[in-house]
Amino acid sequence: MAVSNKKYNVIDLKTGKLDSRIFSDPDIYREELEKVFGRTWLMIGHESLVPKVNDFFHTYMGEDRVILTRDGKGKLHAFLNMCRHRGNPIVRTDVGNTKNFFCPYHGWTYSNDGSLEYVPGEEEAYYGAVDRDSRSLIAARVETYAGIVFANWDSGAPSLEEYLGDARWCLDVAFNRLDAGTEAIGPVKWIEPLNWKTAVDNCSDNYHVPTTHLSAILVQARHFGLPRLTHEAQFESPSKHLFINGHSLTMRMLDRPDQARQTHGVTQENRSLFEEYYRSTLAEAERRLGSVRAGKLQLGNHSIFPNGVLGLRLAHPRGPLETEFWHFVVLEKGMPDELKRALRMGSGNYNGVAGLFEQDDMDNWRGVSRSSLTPLAQKYSQDLSMGVGRAGSDPDFPGTVAERYTSENNQRSFYRRWEEFMNAESWEDISIEPGTADFEGTATMNG
Amino acid sequence: MQDGIPDEVGMTAQTFGDGVSQSELWHELMQFYINEAWLLDDRKFREWLDLFADDVFYFMPRRLNVGRQDLSREISEEGDLAIFEDDKTYMTMRVDRLDTGMAWSEDPPSRTRHLVGNLVIEPLPEGDLKAKTAFILYRSHHETDENIFAGSREDHLRKEDGRWKIYKRIIVLDANVILAKNLSVFF
Repeated sequence: MAVSNKKYNVIDLKTGKLDSRIFSDPDIYREELEKVFGRTWLMIGHESLVPKVNDFFHTYMGEDRVILTRDGKGKLHAFLNMCRHRGNPIVRTDVGNTKNFFCPYHGWTYSNDGSLEYVPGEEEAYYGAVDRDSRSLIAARVETYAGIVFANWDSGAPSLEEYLGDARWCLDVAFNRLDAGTEAIGPVKWIEPLNWKTAVDNCSDNYHVPTTHLSAILVQARHFGLPRLTHEAQFESPSKHLFINGHSLTMRMLDRPDQARQTHGVTQENRSLFEEYYRSTLAEAERRLGSVRAGKLQLGNHSIFPNGVLGLRLAHPRGPLETEFWHFVVLEKGMPDELKRALRMGSGNYNGVAGLFEQDDMDNWRGVSRSSLTPLAQKYSQDLSMGVGRAGSDPDFPGTVAERYTSENNQRSFYRRWEEFMNAESWEDISIEPGTADFEGTATMNG
Repeated sequence: MQDGIPDEVGMTAQTFGDGVSQSELWHELMQFYINEAWLLDDRKFREWLDLFADDVFYFMPRRLNVGRQDLSREISEEGDLAIFEDDKTYMTMRVDRLDTGMAWSEDPPSRTRHLVGNLVIEPLPEGDLKAKTAFILYRSHHETDENIFAGSREDHLRKEDGRWKIYKRIIVLDANVILAKNLSVFF
C-alpha cells in the first residue's frame, strides 16, 4: 500500500488480501471523512421523523452535525448545524418544532429554510455591514427514496437515483412495496468501539452468522420453532449475494408469495397473521413491483454505501476506532398494529444495542478493527479470499452476483469501492454501473 | 420519620390493607430488591427470571435529548422503538442463551454490581403495588471495559402464591447515546 502518495491499494481482488491499517490510521480516517463522507449520498433520516411543517430532526453526515428540517412550505432541507458567526451548533436537541433556529451564543437567528433572519446589533454594532444573504446555513443536497432521506455535500455527485442504480431493484422489495409507504421508528443510539467500515463490511458476511450468532439461533429455534440456521444450509442456499455501485445486497427466495418476509419477530404463533398480511397486499405489490419482486424475493442482509447497515441503520464515524451506531426500524404504514409490534420487538430484540444477535458482534468487530494497531500485527494482511473469481453476471439479477450465498466477494468489492472514492479527485473519477434491471411495475423513487 | 423511612415514601397505612403497615411493606419490598440485586450479581439468572410474572412487560424506552418545552417527548412511548421491549419469552431467551456456551457477549461474563435504592411504594388496586427505585449498575468486562448505567425502574407487582412477582418493569436510563458496546446485562 502506498499511503504516502495518497494512492490507495488496500485490497487485492485476486488474493483477497486486505491492508488492515485502513481501520486505525488517523490520517486515512481524516481523508475518508472528506473523500467518502463528503461525496456520497448519506442516509440521514426518514420523512416520517419530520411529519409536520417546522419539524426538525438532528442527525449526522459523517462527524458533521446536521439538521433535517421541514420548512413552513413542507420542503425538506439538510443544514450543517453550525452558526455562520463563530461555528457554534444552533440546535442542541434530538427533535423539535420551530420556525427559527436561534444561536444560544450571540443570538443570530435563522429561518428553517436556512436564511439568516436576524443579527442582534446589525445596525448599531455592525454598522449595517453584515451581508446576511452570504451567511445562510450551509445546505446539503437532499433527495428521498421511498421516504428515506439522503443528503450529499457534493454538487458534482450524480442523482440519488443514479447513485442507488440497480440496487433499488433489490431495495424496493422491502422498502417500496405499497402505495402507503413506510414509517421509521427510533433510533436507539450507542457507541461501538470499532471502525465504521467493519460494521458495514459485516453486512455482507453471511459466513459469520452460524458461528457468531449460534446462541441466538439456538434459542430462536427453541422458543419460536424456527429452523436452525447452519453453515451447511447457507453453503447450499439458493439465495443471491449481489454487489452494485458499492451497495451490498442479499436476495432470498420465497417459497410462496405469502411467506412471512421478516425473520426477526416472526413466531409460530403469529406466522399465519403475517401470511394473511402478505396475501392481502400481494396484488398491490405486484402492480408496483411486478410478480417476481412482489412474490418471489425478499431482501436479506444489505448495506448501502458507505455507512448504511441493514436498511436505515447508520454507522456514524467517530474517529478511527469509534462508531456511533443508530438503529431505526422501518415499517410499512398500513401494517396491522399486532404485526408492527412483532417486528418492532423482533428487530429490537435481535439487533440493536441489546439485541440477542447484535450484542455478540461487538467484540468480534472490535477485534477486527483493532488488529492493525501494532507494528507487528499490521504486517499481516487480513484474508478475504473466500470465493475469489467466483462471481459474475446472473440472467435473473442485476449487478455482480457471487456463485454462492456465502462468499467474501461483496467485502472485497466494498473495499475496492472505498479505494475508488479515496483515489478519486472528484466524482468524474468515480464509476456508476449502467443499469440493466427491469423495473417491472409502477413504483418509482418516490411514489 | 419512623424506622428511618420518610413518611412520604408510601401512602397511609390503611391503603395497604391486611393490617400490614407501610413500614413493614417498605422493608419487605426493599428486601425483595436487595435479593434481586444479589441474584443478578451472583449470576443466578434463572432465579432472577422467576421474580417476573408470566405476563411481564419489560420495557426500556429511549431517552431523547429535548428542550424544556418538549419534555413530554423525552421518554419514547410504547409503539416507538425501545431499547428493551421484552415479554417473558424474550427474557427467557436472553437467559437461555447464556447456557449455550456460545453467547459471546457474556462469555467470559460481565462482572456487575447493582446498587438499588430510593424505594418509593404506592398501592394499586387489588393489593398490587407500584414500586419505584433508582439504580446504579456497574459493569466490568474482559480486561478493561467498564460501563456505568444509572436510571430508574418503575415496577408493578402482584402477589402470586404468596410471593411478589413483577408484571411490569419500566427502566429509564439516564442516557441519550448509550456509552456501551452492548447491553448484555440485566436491569
